[in-house]
Amino acid sequence: MLNYNQTQIIMKKYTYIIWAILLCYTTACKKLDTLPPNIVNDSDVLSNSAGVQAYMARMYSELPIEDFRYSPQRGLNFFWIISPFSAITGEALSRDQNNAMQESLTFDDRPTTWSRCYTLVRDANYFAETLPKYASNFTPAQINSWLGEARFIRAATYFALVKRYGGVPIVDKVLQYPQQSIDELKIPRSSEEKVYDFISTDLDYAYANLDESNQVGRANKYVAAGFKSRAMLYAGSIAKYNNISLVDGGGNRLCGIPAAKAVTYFKAAYDAAVLLESKYSLYKKSWTAGDKNAQYQNYVSLFSDASSPENVFVRQYHYPESVHGYDAYNVPRQLMGANGYSSEVNPTLNFVEMFDGIPKNADGTIKTTTGGKYDQYANTMDLFANAEPRLRATVILPGDVFKGVSVEIRRGIYTGSAAGGISPLLPPGSTANYPTTNIVQSANASQTPYKLPNGTTMNPAGLSGFFTGDGTCSVSGFSIRKNLAPDKPTSEVLENRSDQAWIELRYAEILLNRAEAAYELNSLGQSDKNYMQDAFTDINQIRERAGATLLTGVADLNNINIIRTERKKELGFENKTWWDMRRWRVADKEQNSTIYRTLMPFYVAETGKYFFDARTDERNSRYTFDVRWYYEQIPQGEIQKSQNLIQNPGY
Amino acid sequence: MKKIFYYIAIGMIVAAGSSCKKVDNYAAPTETLKGSVNDAVTGKGIQTEQGSGTRIKLLEISYSNSPTPFYISSFQDGSYTNTKLFAGKNVISAEGPFVPLVQVDNTGKTVVDKSQTVDIKGTTTVNFSVEPFLRVEWIGEPVYDAAKGTITAQFKFTRGTTNPDFQQNVSDAYLFVNSNQYVGNNNYDNRYSQRIVYNGTDGNAQAGQTITLTTNGGALPGKREYFLRVGARIAYGLNYYNYTDVKTVTIP
Repeated sequence: MLNYNQTQIIMKKYTYIIWAILLCYTTACKKLDTLPPNIVNDSDVLSNSAGVQAYMARMYSELPIEDFRYSPQRGLNFFWIISPFSAITGEALSRDQNNAMQESLTFDDRPTTWSRCYTLVRDANYFAETLPKYASNFTPAQINSWLGEARFIRAATYFALVKRYGGVPIVDKVLQYPQQSIDELKIPRSSEEKVYDFISTDLDYAYANLDESNQVGRANKYVAAGFKSRAMLYAGSIAKYNNISLVDGGGNRLCGIPAAKAVTYFKAAYDAAVLLESKYSLYKKSWTAGDKNAQYQNYVSLFSDASSPENVFVRQYHYPESVHGYDAYNVPRQLMGANGYSSEVNPTLNFVEMFDGIPKNADGTIKTTTGGKYDQYANTMDLFANAEPRLRATVILPGDVFKGVSVEIRRGIYTGSAAGGISPLLPPGSTANYPTTNIVQSANASQTPYKLPNGTTMNPAGLSGFFTGDGTCSVSGFSIRKNLAPDKPTSEVLENRSDQAWIELRYAEILLNRAEAAYELNSLGQSDKNYMQDAFTDINQIRERAGATLLTGVADLNNINIIRTERKKELGFENKTWWDMRRWRVADKEQNSTIYRTLMPFYVAETGKYFFDARTDERNSRYTFDVRWYYEQIPQGEIQKSQNLIQNPGY
Repeated sequence: MKKIFYYIAIGMIVAAGSSCKKVDNYAAPTETLKGSVNDAVTGKGIQTEQGSGTRIKLLEISYSNSPTPFYISSFQDGSYTNTKLFAGKNVISAEGPFVPLVQVDNTGKTVVDKSQTVDIKGTTTVNFSVEPFLRVEWIGEPVYDAAKGTITAQFKFTRGTTNPDFQQNVSDAYLFVNSNQYVGNNNYDNRYSQRIVYNGTDGNAQAGQTITLTTNGGALPGKREYFLRVGARIAYGLNYYNYTDVKTVTIP
């Protein structure tokens, strides 16, 4: 038992402690309202132009464009591009992508395109709503320009959504939770037409508010106009060619646009494209009339010259902080870098046959035989001696020079008798394997040389293929050249080591948009301008620069397919063709159990010459486009979150 | 103190143990829904492909006015069955290669609604009577040509509906060949299957005509059975194929 004094002392002690604690509490309260110094606040970012630039940089880096870092298997902004986009469109064959597909919903728990887009929409809306609070720090011109930029970003993002899913929920302000109820946030899909109109309005706003010029990689007013010509052309095509319909209970047509709107949209596309006239021009710095080699060099430089007047909108990369691996994945096999990747993109013969300057049969296919016997050439490039310069600049043809070496593509050595000519190895259209008699071939890159009749030896296959056992080679007889860095040393041909800029929008596309819109307007009976003359001039500008055969007169332009083929050639391997095939609604016809074609060069032991065999892909990869893919599946998880979202037909 | 501590501990253990019982308190679904999607004229099941052809759409309205749809894929012959459904009130319709049972005009108004509202309980049978886009029929039996090693089949297709909204162009007809009975656009041997593609309106005049198709790709390997089916389609919506039934040809 404690005595009274001891109790008193303990009591006193407690009293002191309690007072001390209370004292601490009351004084501490004052400072609780201090902003944590380790969190970046709106005022830090949006009250100075460096902060705004940083905010913009992130939004642009998230912009959903299908660039060097996109593949349908793995989605946007991913480093590993071994299943290239061009290998689902018929432009190319690839060992890692050999069937038709639409964009995967998810890959490795990465965010879906849907959620990426809506995140960016929120960022753009947040910027537009918050920036005016700090208006006193800037001039009104700066504010307007930045607000225009935010609208551009929002419009480009909605375009990425609408071209995939059709009508989507329109979110034009920052959504607040928990201030807004869950039911309010379950925004239903708008009609496809309304989304295109929303994009159009945003781009008009951007055009009106943006400056004439901006930093490279950021939008100026003409970029906004250029995107508008693209988006409106898509809308017009869907109004004209789509026959899928999905209407919700409120009469919103979520999939499809009324045909009556086609003229409106094509006109908008045409008018927007005209705005860029004389602001940009086709790249012709080293172009010389009549000189195929100069025209070829010029077309190659177009993709590497940062000062190109043709570049409307680019996404820049810079080693080491922002990189891609386009070179590492796509160089020809013999120039393979240390990561062991190569030749993922091998242009099909179907793509090559679209171009001018190669011998052709009456049906437009490449001519490799005369009188039932193969034509023989001293070198593989002889077949392409007069090829259109644009073809050489887009595709590495067998035997053509890249980075100072001749890219050697050979299927095998023909050892049979060449007396009286060589008959085709297989009947026309056959999908069978090549016969093994009279042909020596290689399974992979470690080859056993074959002794030729003249005593010298030769590897059965070329250094860049074709190998029968593995796909690490040119599987089509061609290799890609477009966008490959023409001077990158092999020691730097590595993943995440490339940093050439992605040209998302160039003036050639604007001309093609304009020509297509003009042609469609004419076919829809519009005659307020001489649309056909306009389309004719646009196409011939593209062809002249390409070194292709010109249209001789307006009357030549008698089929929409002339414009579409020109577009496929000019914009090949720029990740645009897939969307074009969808909006024209031709993908299910082009890809209906389709096997794409290849061109296989053989060396004839007896004559020392080459012949070419045009055949269907030896791997028999069949492509079938599912009609449902004209509207992609909305991720199931999004519908679970917001049950007002109606799924697209057939999923 | 010690005592109190034990009481609390025991209390918590008891609470934790007894609460476990009620976690899974809803019986597994046991009700059966079955039926068939039949041709209104012939009464036979509408032939389709399994998985990407006909499917039954269930909207369970017992818990929500705007439920997320639940789908059951039908078998190849147009019949369907699901034995693991919850009891409840459902609005049931079907989607496939036939005139849609629910049609919405461009103002969002439902102009045709042949869906059925059914209480699913025990074994419930729901059949649909529909108009196929096309009726595809065999003419005679497929013939094996021993000399060439190919199979030749004759068939015809006719319009299955007079509804003016569903007279789109016939786009193609396809003789599908496969090594098992599941044969159709989703599952076929592309080495041997053969098709005719019609441009524009060309296919429409073929309706009612006898069409002959022979397998592709040279002689078929022998000593096995092949399963054949002809599909034809119009360019409407998701371009579903209408099919004949499956015929078997045994190659010696």
